[in-house]
Amino acid sequence: MKLRKTVTLVDEIHTEGGETVSPAARTAVVAAVIDNPWAGQGFVRDLSAGIDETAPRLGALLAPLVVKALGRPVEAYGKAAVVGLDGEVEHGSGLIHTLKFGDHFREAASATTLLPALEKVAPAGTVFDIPLKHITDATVRSHHQSVEVRIPDAPRAGEIVIALAAAGQGRPQARLAPLATEQ
Amino acid sequence: MSPIRRVVTSCEELSLELGAAVHTPVRRGAVAVAVRNPWAGRGVVADLRPEAEKLAPVLAREIADRLTAVLGGADAIASFGKAALVGLDGEAEHGDALIHTPYFGNVLRELLHGTSIIAFSEERAVAGTTATVPVWHKTEAATRSHYSATQIRVPDGPRPDELVITAAAATGPRPNARIGDRSTDPAVTLETLEGTR
Repeated sequence: MKLRKTVTLVDEIHTEGGETVSPAARTAVVAAVIDNPWAGQGFVRDLSAGIDETAPRLGALLAPLVVKALGRPVEAYGKAAVVGLDGEVEHGSGLIHTLKFGDHFREAASATTLLPALEKVAPAGTVFDIPLKHITDATVRSHHQSVEVRIPDAPRAGEIVIALAAAGQGRPQARLAPLATEQ
Repeated sequence: MSPIRRVVTSCEELSLELGAAVHTPVRRGAVAVAVRNPWAGRGVVADLRPEAEKLAPVLAREIADRLTAVLGGADAIASFGKAALVGLDGEAEHGDALIHTPYFGNVLRELLHGTSIIAFSEERAVAGTTATVPVWHKTEAATRSHYSATQIRVPDGPRPDELVITAAAATGPRPNARIGDRSTDPAVTLETLEGTR
């Protein structure tokens, strides 16, 4: 795996709608910018070798970093793959939609649910939103949220950005009725 | 209620450049604070000092705390810079009042153990604008290897009645700095350039 750089973001919301959020809502993102393992190979029918080579390393790299950056227990989480313009969306999906990637984060966050995901092909500097849901119950409505990321010079055409997001709480002023009240 | 609405902290660690390991691995950090513009809705306020005196040190401390936390302490920091994005209902002078007075600059400089003038940029901008924050060496501002910049944004700030106040810092020079310095420069004037034609 050729890792160009890692980018860590911590987003804190102290007031929302003019009301104090206490403690401040905190969300962390760690992104790795890597060379697309399939760059220049044309249409690769079987992606499994590249996935087995790269996905576990990315999971092992990013999961502890994002948990540490958050600095409090993870309550919601998500992931993203943004593929540079010479790649296929399937390249990014291949790297994040495997237990070999996601289980590192589930273990580090003591989580059990599927990780919500964003995957797209885009130019460097694209803004992408990582969806997050509750780590043990994906129906917990207060924890449905997104965090916005932009890396000015990534992904280049032959690169992929792989990111994990972790939040220490739900939305900053969550006050919607639970799903069960509508069922 | 705190005038601070949102704080974004970023840290970038670069290991490869054009596919090759960089000469000096460097970490670059930046902090952006979306804060209510204390002069919003008041027209042209003649004396900006009372609010600057109150708010700017608070911002400098919040920013310095986070920069030192992500970069490994004040003594790990080699270079610094600052920037102001002023929301569209504000005056550029509002941003200047918060970053160009001692209430911000002296506090940031002291907390980051620097002595230089702090490099800066400023802009009136819509929410989500990426601030490009220039940095230079914190004690020897003319050190060319440390001239650099980093980028940061607050997705929903500055709102029209807000400012985004930022500072950035790096733990070292540009990762592959190799353009010499004043000591190695030849004498370049318009005349010498003409002579090389």
